Amino acid sequence: MADRDFYRILGVARTASQDEIQRAYRKLAREHHPDVNADPGAEDRFKDISEAYNVLSDPQTRRRYDAFGPDFRQVPEDVDPETWRRAGAGARTRAGAGAGPAGGTRFAYGGRAEDIDLDDLFGGLFGGRSARGWGPVPGADQSAEIELTVQEAYRGGERPMTIGSGSSQRRLDVTIPPGVIDGQRIRLAGQGGRGSDGARSGDLFLVVNIRPDRTFRLDGRDIHVELRLAPWEAALGTSVAVPTPDGEAKVTVPAGTSSGKRLRLRGRGMPNPRGLPGDLYADARIMVPPRPTDAERELFEQLASTSGFDPRSGH
Amino acid sequence: MTYALVRVPRLDLDEFANTAGMHPELVRRLVVLGVLDAAQDSAGRLWFARSQLADVARIQRLRAGFALNYAATGLVIDLLDRIAVLEAAARRRQRLGGQ
Repeated sequence: MADRDFYRILGVARTASQDEIQRAYRKLAREHHPDVNADPGAEDRFKDISEAYNVLSDPQTRRRYDAFGPDFRQVPEDVDPETWRRAGAGARTRAGAGAGPAGGTRFAYGGRAEDIDLDDLFGGLFGGRSARGWGPVPGADQSAEIELTVQEAYRGGERPMTIGSGSSQRRLDVTIPPGVIDGQRIRLAGQGGRGSDGARSGDLFLVVNIRPDRTFRLDGRDIHVELRLAPWEAALGTSVAVPTPDGEAKVTVPAGTSSGKRLRLRGRGMPNPRGLPGDLYADARIMVPPRPTDAERELFEQLASTSGFDPRSGH
Repeated sequence: MTYALVRVPRLDLDEFANTAGMHPELVRRLVVLGVLDAAQDSAGRLWFARSQLADVARIQRLRAGFALNYAATGLVIDLLDRIAVLEAAARRRQRLGGQ
């Protein structure tokens, strides 16, 4: 249930002056207006703020709200606040339950035209329309971040997601196309801000944020993995299994591979729904035994005395 | 001679105003104020892309939400668009630097 304490929504005291209420509303509106704040939760907060302001900014409705609480619209105009107070909480609860959600607290954007210039010139043109001055207004676009692992981005698929916060929270099953990349926007048509008077809703854009991965480093659609090699593997050549987001792949390491050499597996990077997939690069990195055994040390010493190789001479 | 029927991708002033639920004169004023873009043909008629219906909706929401006049709405829209571009660039930079 949404917070129905209009004073709390606006963050003002119950004794606040009309000026204070106006100031609080303006500040909050600048922060939560759906065209300024694309967060999916902002729209409902803005509606709450606007409703609170619509009630509290009019001295008459404010008095009724103070006397009868959030359901004041269900109390007939001619009821005396004192009589109402004496009627007790029990009766009030029943009345509230009976009236249900038909209280007619429907939100309408704005409702008060405080500017005078051009708009006044057109005032007459809208004579037949609602007080707002226009027909249905489509909803605003919203955007939210979605964090994916490299594997999720690679494979795609369904993913449940919670959008918004508090009372405006909703769950969505998002279909992620295979091969989304960092920063890509996934458009969910019609899942953004609601339009007024049945106008169509805006779109929700999910900005993909791929979580940094220990194994896979992404560069656009290319994927880099580290390929650790023993000195003799690098010198003599070998065949090694390297991880890919889709399982392991065999890589043939040619003889004479030095650190920094890149082995490319064409097309094993991120899939691309609209074109060629990226490549997977295995970056060679030669590792030596941190604590060689006596036998290993002996063999390395033998190699050192036999070899004429100087890694520091020109290439 | 026969002509293939094609869907017109743009709307004239009346169609656009009607779809947007606004008076055509107000739409024309928004164009004059530079708040809304429109193409003008040699006969002086205004043409709009369907995607601009979303622009009009934003103008209306901003105007109502902040009690802005239409000229000020133009400024706010320009600023919001510039902020969106800057934020996207900042995100890109952060992403490249974060690796």
